[in-house]
Amino acid sequence: MALISLQTVFIAFFGIAAIGFGIWVFRTSSMMRSALALLFSQTALGAMFLAMQAEFLGVLQIMMMATEMSIMAIFMVMFMMDPGGLGAMEMSHQKRLSILAGVAGALATAGIALFTQWGVVVTSAPAAAEQTRALGTELLGRSMLIFETAGVTILTAMIAATAVALPTLQRKRNA
Amino acid sequence: MSPDLLLALFTGAALFGVGIYGALSQTNLVMIMMGVELILAGALVNLVAFWRFLHPHSYAGQMFVLIVMTVMALEMAVGFGVAIARFRARGSVEMEEATELQG
Amino acid sequence: MNTLVIVLSLLAGAYLVAVLEAWLATGRFRLAAPAWAAVALLGRESIVPRTPDRIFFETAPVLLLIAALLAAAVLPLSPSMVMANLATGALFVNAALAYVLVALLMAGWGSDSAYALVGGWRFLGQVIAYSMLIVMPITAVAMRAESLLTTDIVSSQEAVWNILYQPIGFVLFFVASMAVAFLPPFDLPIAVGDLAGGVEAEYTGVRLAVFRLGRMVLVITLAAATTVFYLGGWMGPVLPPWAWSAIKILAVSAAMLLGGYTLPRIREAHLLAWCWKLGIPLALINLFIVGVMVLIWP
Repeated sequence: MALISLQTVFIAFFGIAAIGFGIWVFRTSSMMRSALALLFSQTALGAMFLAMQAEFLGVLQIMMMATEMSIMAIFMVMFMMDPGGLGAMEMSHQKRLSILAGVAGALATAGIALFTQWGVVVTSAPAAAEQTRALGTELLGRSMLIFETAGVTILTAMIAATAVALPTLQRKRNA
Repeated sequence: MSPDLLLALFTGAALFGVGIYGALSQTNLVMIMMGVELILAGALVNLVAFWRFLHPHSYAGQMFVLIVMTVMALEMAVGFGVAIARFRARGSVEMEEATELQG
Repeated sequence: MNTLVIVLSLLAGAYLVAVLEAWLATGRFRLAAPAWAAVALLGRESIVPRTPDRIFFETAPVLLLIAALLAAAVLPLSPSMVMANLATGALFVNAALAYVLVALLMAGWGSDSAYALVGGWRFLGQVIAYSMLIVMPITAVAMRAESLLTTDIVSSQEAVWNILYQPIGFVLFFVASMAVAFLPPFDLPIAVGDLAGGVEAEYTGVRLAVFRLGRMVLVITLAAATTVFYLGGWMGPVLPPWAWSAIKILAVSAAMLLGGYTLPRIREAHLLAWCWKLGIPLALINLFIVGVMVLIWP
């Protein structure tokens, strides 16, 4: 057994951090803590991407999630009856089933990961600058249509979400 | 064989499990969305791990990660749109009270 | 060694910014004013509100400082004076600045006080207004440099500085950075008049000192970012590179402080409306113009 590399240590550390924060999301009854725990979970994942030498994706993940989860937080506080978690409200149902499903899902995926022949693991990754360049070429070359589709889908979703969320005319008149 | 790939895949599996638990057990729409975010995060880890440890020279893998990130953002946007509409109509986004479609 | 020098110069810069701010606030120029203020803050009792969210309350000021320092880590003061020359430097600045929002939200929620809470959520709205105006001009800058490396961005301005090459982008970025550092007239989260201090209302003593320090470092960091992206970074005749960087950064931070000082505080709704109806179209036009210009006259 060779010495465990620094990369392995970092991957394990950030992975455990991501899982830990992920569990914390559902164990606290303060909505703000819940949303920010999810943020830290995602940030730990971003750091894990960095440890896996996917620099662009890691930084992107860290950047996107900060805003995304903060917006999540304000919606949590808006829509929860007890956002501070002071009333110790019960916010979950079918606990046993959910735990079973969660554990089964995790075990199944972990089992697949364990028993698949993954082939040769590549030890070295391209340099970060090269990666950024190649990803850009990929986005505007071979995968351009897919990327454009993603863009159009975002636009559609934005319009749809706004349309759904706008108050109806009736409601506006009453207000 | 280096354990890095397996470590990353196990992280993905654990996040997937936690996400499933959250999506099934929570009663509030926004909390359910958090569970879905965790499931997608698990997918992200797997994709990055596959790119890094199996095909580091095929950038379609990184591209796929970008698409999943897009899906996460879309899920939030549409989910919050639905949440606002439901809150306006019914005064809450609790799933226990969403029984209109029950047979 | 490099890291230490940069952190120390950042702190020195933050001190000068604090001197300037005190000068603006009191009308008297005293070089020792921030030092005395800091001593006073450190000596004062650290009052904690009645039922704070302790984790957030304690983390928020530190996170603000760390976010500002991290953003500064990729900005070069001279060709060799950069803490981490990341291949995704220009993106990393955005990523680090996004955590300013998290810090303020934590401070707002953690303080358990109405004004602080309002201040925190106000900053969320402010972020939604300005974030595109940070990202899109940086994209245009990176387009010209054909690289996300901050050092490459500076050397791409060898012939013409970006402030002349893409003036619209500069104006947008400058205004948006004032909003990031919540300087007047964008000081919505700490609005002294109507929120009585907002997010920092409940902070006293050491924590307030860290919070203020974080904000001053943030101002310096944003000035450094403006310098690197638009003012040709370390470039200039006669003087050594670091001196040019220092001069430009201080000039930009002074301009940021002075720029909005006499303006009335903008309303949140107006900020959003202006940013989305005017700012984002302008940013898109800027992207287009720069794209065409890069093709004909790089």
